[in-house]
Amino acid sequence: MTSPATTSPPSGRARLAPALLWAAGAALVAYAFVAGGYLVTVLGFAALYAIFVTGLNFFMGYTGQVSFGQNAFAAIGGYTSAVLTTAYNWPVFAAMPLGIGAAALLALAIGYPTLRLRGHYLAMATLALGMIVQEIAVQWDRVTMGYTGIAAIPPLGAFGRELPNERAQLAALLAALALAVWVASRLKHSRLGHALAAIAGSEDAARALGIDVARYKLIAFVVAAVYAAFAGSMFAHFVGFVSPEVFGLHMVVLGFTMLYVGGIGTVYGPLVGALIISLLPETFRGFKEFQDLAYGAALIVILIYAPKGLASLARLWTRRGAAPDAAAAATAGTSRGDAGAAR
Amino acid sequence: MHRVFTAAALAAALGTIAGPAQAQTYKIGIAAGLTGYAATVDRAWTDGVRLAVEAVNARGGVNGRRLEVVVEDNRSEPQEAVTVYRKMMSSDKVDAFLSGCVSAGNLAAAGMVARAQIPMVLCSILPQNEEHVKWAFSTLPPARFEVEKRFEYLKENTQIRRVGVLHDPTPYANLQKGVAEKSAAAYGLTLVGVDQYKQDDADLSVQIGKMNAAGAGAILKIGLGGTTLTAAKNIKQLGLSTQMLTSIEDLAVFRPVADVLGDKFFFVAAPSQVVDALPEGPLRKAISDFLGPWKARHGERDPNWAGRGWDAVMITVAAIQKANSFDGPKVRDAIETISGFQGTTGIYNFSAANHQGITVNPFVLATIQGGRVRVVK
Repeated sequence: MTSPATTSPPSGRARLAPALLWAAGAALVAYAFVAGGYLVTVLGFAALYAIFVTGLNFFMGYTGQVSFGQNAFAAIGGYTSAVLTTAYNWPVFAAMPLGIGAAALLALAIGYPTLRLRGHYLAMATLALGMIVQEIAVQWDRVTMGYTGIAAIPPLGAFGRELPNERAQLAALLAALALAVWVASRLKHSRLGHALAAIAGSEDAARALGIDVARYKLIAFVVAAVYAAFAGSMFAHFVGFVSPEVFGLHMVVLGFTMLYVGGIGTVYGPLVGALIISLLPETFRGFKEFQDLAYGAALIVILIYAPKGLASLARLWTRRGAAPDAAAAATAGTSRGDAGAAR
Repeated sequence: MHRVFTAAALAAALGTIAGPAQAQTYKIGIAAGLTGYAATVDRAWTDGVRLAVEAVNARGGVNGRRLEVVVEDNRSEPQEAVTVYRKMMSSDKVDAFLSGCVSAGNLAAAGMVARAQIPMVLCSILPQNEEHVKWAFSTLPPARFEVEKRFEYLKENTQIRRVGVLHDPTPYANLQKGVAEKSAAAYGLTLVGVDQYKQDDADLSVQIGKMNAAGAGAILKIGLGGTTLTAAKNIKQLGLSTQMLTSIEDLAVFRPVADVLGDKFFFVAAPSQVVDALPEGPLRKAISDFLGPWKARHGERDPNWAGRGWDAVMITVAAIQKANSFDGPKVRDAIETISGFQGTTGIYNFSAANHQGITVNPFVLATIQGGRVRVVK
């Protein structure tokens, strides 16, 4: 049943679209490395959020579930790193796995009963999780320092050496992002990914096919938590500061915006979304008090003209290019047929 | 055509990010919460800084340079604060930061500002880290001053000896709460309840009722925003005779509270809020120098936070003149030597060991009677 269009090698136009996108992204990163300045900071935040949203995409895009509580896992990753490296002088690469492990365990413990819920009920449960963890960050001030936050968190580094500047830290973040996206891509096209796609289509149909729905949903939830904790930990070391506001509802809203603007359910959508949503406010900064207005208008335009996200535009462009070719081929075929009939 | 437009838009975007060339002015950067929970306070602070800069420029600037202000909205969020600090450091090349009252935002950026050796004179609390605080100074009086003024009143003017403390979770409110817990006994007072609320809480009657049941004759309310009016309404609804003594705030917030509680409402006031009650002297003169242009521009708007912004500019200008340099480390060193500097909030005495300049309690306890602010003697 495979259509010829999907098995035929991609056309030149199909190859060109993603190539152009990658080239634009690479040019921006190269410019940041050469020019330095706060573009490095903006791209650093974009990379952090791209990791966070890639995880969210796993649960929401690939599995078709809803979570408003991923900030909880980012907070666990961030605070574990912050506390262990500042109060107990742990090295960064020892503190980071512990935070990720703690988040995975919590996701397992919370997800087991919670993921029996569906739709709005699951959304409410995950929202509560995010709020509870943030409240703990506020109230447990003996450890978290409450709203004062934890400062002077050491930057990323290994073997007793810290990365010397923001450019080096950006390079490390981009490497981490590449790894995160590669893993997500591999998982999406694995047996696990296919099972999740089936669940996203219909839980009942997936169950009828013999897929253990509860188990796969739990796996997706834990994977998303691991990504969130990784991003939270990297955030702590990139910025050097954490406080409860950092991991608030604002993070969830931003993550959702990036996911939908980039393209939910696609491998590269989170990447595109994180980059665009991080750059847009900076692009409009010159508008001063009209900055939010311009930002909001840009989001509306994007969602009207690219309702499936910006990552879908390349596909659309490829199809538009292919359409005249197909029409021409069809016309040629008809002509040939006519000619044959004439013969 | 649209390609040309796209190219132009991209160039404009990169231009915005790359920033303009450095001009020969002394640049003051402000990371302020122009939107978000700190908007009221930080907008006033920013307007105070702007007004002071205009006043300094009107008399020819400082050491031959005009002052220039760069303001960026941190949306009252630490992450946004880091971005705008970085933008002002690398694109605008600011020489000093006179940032607003969003403590978490200033603390988040303090490390990179310290590494860049740029002095900061802040509205917020100071960073805890030794390396960071070296470059930061605050115009905020110590948290204990606001608590002590209220405890003094209760001890000397009333028979109330049992008190409740109601506070929000912000760092400055927590500092005040800590002071209240430690110092109540020294004033012969007993804290019968210490409760926290959130800034967006719409009802505080549970906490207030609990304190009343424990015998509290007065409640110290610590924190900014609409919850002060909420607490006042709750006290009235519960039919209590409890006094409410609040921490410092915009007078616009206090007026409706006074309408609800009448003579049971007291608040800590900054000198600029009760200028008419001050005796002639250096403090009144400093406030008048600021209030003249402030009232001309902003009418009867509360001058407290703006006055501190004004002070921050004048302290920086004094440091530049003292150092005879615009160099960051030299200006920082000079601020540390500024002592006996009369500002609108009080006298600033900075030193290497003290970066929170106000060392003598400048506050008074005030009330509102017939729409007029009156100092409680």
